[in-house]
Amino acid sequence: MQSSRKWMFACLCMLMVVLTACGGGGQTAAGNGAAEAAAPTESAAKPAESAGPVKVVWWHAMSGELGGVVDELVKQFNDSQDEVEVEAVFQGTYDESLNKLKTAMGSGTGPTMIQTYEIGSRFMIDSGAITPMQQFIDGESYDVSHLEENILGYYTFDDRLYSMPFNTSNPILYYNKDAFKKAGLDPENPPTTYEEVEKAAKTLTEGSMTGGSFAIYGWFMEQLLANQGAELLNNSNGRAGMADQAQLGAPAAVSTLEWWKKMVDEGTMLNLGRKTDDTKKAFAAGQVAMTLDSTASLRGIVQAAEGKFEVGTAPLPKPTAADADKGGVVVGGASLWILNDRPEEEQQAAWKFIKFLAEPKTQAYWHVNTGYFPITKEAYNEDLVKENLKKYPQFQTAIDQLHGTELTPATQGAVMGVFPEARQLTETAIEEALTGAAKPQDALDRASAEITQKIQEYNSTVAQ
Amino acid sequence: MEKLEKSAPVPLKKKESHNPDTPLPRSAAGGASRTSALARFREGALAAAFIAPALLLFGLFLFYPLIQSVYLSLHSTNPRGQVANFVGLANFRNLFNSPGFPNSLIVTLKFILFTVPASLAFALVFAAVCRAKIRGMKIFRFVFALPIAVSVGTGSIMWMVLFHPTLGTLNYFLGKIGLTPVQWLTDPNMALLSISLMTVWMNVGFLFILLLGGMQGVPEEIYESAKIDGSGPVRTFWRLTLPLVSPTLFFASVTSVIGAFQAFGQINILTKGGPVNSTNVLVFKLYEDAFVNFRFGVGSAQALVLFAIVLLITVLQFVFAERKVHYQ
Repeated sequence: MQSSRKWMFACLCMLMVVLTACGGGGQTAAGNGAAEAAAPTESAAKPAESAGPVKVVWWHAMSGELGGVVDELVKQFNDSQDEVEVEAVFQGTYDESLNKLKTAMGSGTGPTMIQTYEIGSRFMIDSGAITPMQQFIDGESYDVSHLEENILGYYTFDDRLYSMPFNTSNPILYYNKDAFKKAGLDPENPPTTYEEVEKAAKTLTEGSMTGGSFAIYGWFMEQLLANQGAELLNNSNGRAGMADQAQLGAPAAVSTLEWWKKMVDEGTMLNLGRKTDDTKKAFAAGQVAMTLDSTASLRGIVQAAEGKFEVGTAPLPKPTAADADKGGVVVGGASLWILNDRPEEEQQAAWKFIKFLAEPKTQAYWHVNTGYFPITKEAYNEDLVKENLKKYPQFQTAIDQLHGTELTPATQGAVMGVFPEARQLTETAIEEALTGAAKPQDALDRASAEITQKIQEYNSTVAQ
Repeated sequence: MEKLEKSAPVPLKKKESHNPDTPLPRSAAGGASRTSALARFREGALAAAFIAPALLLFGLFLFYPLIQSVYLSLHSTNPRGQVANFVGLANFRNLFNSPGFPNSLIVTLKFILFTVPASLAFALVFAAVCRAKIRGMKIFRFVFALPIAVSVGTGSIMWMVLFHPTLGTLNYFLGKIGLTPVQWLTDPNMALLSISLMTVWMNVGFLFILLLGGMQGVPEEIYESAKIDGSGPVRTFWRLTLPLVSPTLFFASVTSVIGAFQAFGQINILTKGGPVNSTNVLVFKLYEDAFVNFRFGVGSAQALVLFAIVLLITVLQFVFAERKVHYQ
């Protein structure tokens, strides 16, 4: 009996080593995964040097339908010429593909180009693993004047374009026109200020219909701040030099959160959690009359509401009418980066593909099929885009909002290396405030202090 | 992780049944002395040869990463996840000084408290009921064991649909009987309970099979004589079934606690640690620090603390709980 107990104990100890080691040991597992995923890249890149087309491997994060459109664009490009062959590889979400890139960096197993979300820009620059897009642009005096300034603005640092924008979107206010009519509001005159939104939400809340619901998404907070011209970080949002202080506790953020919280407390706005998908579904089901969402969701939302109610769109609300000409929206989405550890020839081939992607015709196709903005102004002259605008007139709001934005550090968007983490912290602060766990000011102050600490930690490891 | 845990009962049982045999050759060899020394060495070498492949795999995939995580825990890493510099115990110190880690510890303990006893109780009741040899019982056994066939991912997606704040099935039925909808995953006071509810459902399948197996190992004669002595079903359960399955129950409780410490999938899919960190259990926090924010140093430090805690709790379980276990 005694020895049986000892055995059992020893076995369980072993078991625990096994189980807990998984936590720490995961790193190696992730490393292996990335190496595995990247393995074909290397073998595929070699024959390119000898003869035949140059192979370009592109890691992207476009899943589902979007992934299908990406594959179609790649096919169009590969069919159009025989010098370059692009292979698009889906690598999971933005976070996942970026993490895979981190493990592949310096091992020679990475891709030629990668699509990275806008908030990963600071990291990409600091990593020293990329060739700035400006180098290719200068190399052949490529004309960027046909591209949208407001989109380029985000990816321009120290007057240099580091990556080529690819998919961009903005948040807009979606509202249920039928509900507006029913509640006696003018469906053609949506609310534009915080006060108007609050009033409309109150009027709209009746029976099973609630005035609105915003997902707890850090991006919305960032946008609402930029929309009143407020900066998120010091050093001009981190654009005049590395930022080392978050400004989330500033009055602009606090009053925005207080406004949001007030509506939740009054029951005219629902708190449906962090998932934008949940608010989107509630809106499409006619349970909430207003919601914030990305312009890229427009097609999906309009289609989901078809036959049930008419969807209206309005620009992102501002605090007061006096803020009308202040600030604007920051572009969200992702851009394309070329990595510098691939042979020159391959990088040039990737640049060729990027130029193809920036063409008006390609952008028109991309825009119409995905709902992302075309990055070139010339795309609006394409018939495809014109027809699409007739079908989805709601999209005009998004275009106007983008064009109406004045480019300042606030609307260029904040830059920091720990952006994904800062979003998590912001979201926690919003949750604390909305659920009453903390006062908006306290919650935001705490988040601000934590973000500041993380930024400084990041800066210190990068400086070495 | 799940798999490892579930395959564990087999070697354990084997070890148990092995044991009575092992002392035999030893005592026999002790009598024959010198000549048998060589034989013993041979046997030892043979054993080593058999163990070697397993040891190699363990070493490569378990011990090496373990050592690696000790190494990482003493360093800070740059945004690329590479070791930047040696920081000594600063990672550990920061853990206990920041509010995040102690909060995660509390959340994890709460999660264990919510899930382990409830899972065991449900599984025990279901198993006790299903032990009876009645026509059609197989259907019930099948139904109760079914969650074992559902992966964490699938299970979480199913419950995500049930938990949806406005369109969810649960709130729909609550509405039907005139109750106000519950914010299952968005209310910080509710989220951990909701996750626990789902976890209990998921655990019950495996524990049910385990306990049913344990109960079926009890000879039928004992039950018959108990019946003859006039023991009712409730008394039989408390006085007979429970003590006789106690070894299985003990094993189940130890692995359940370890399993609860490791809970990750459902949290990653349903809440991502939110709202207000109310479901931010240790493993999720560790994952987020290491693989989302790329701070392997802090992540490894947390993994080691988690290891120490699980070790401690398991030792305590052996010291205190095992006394109550009745081995046949």
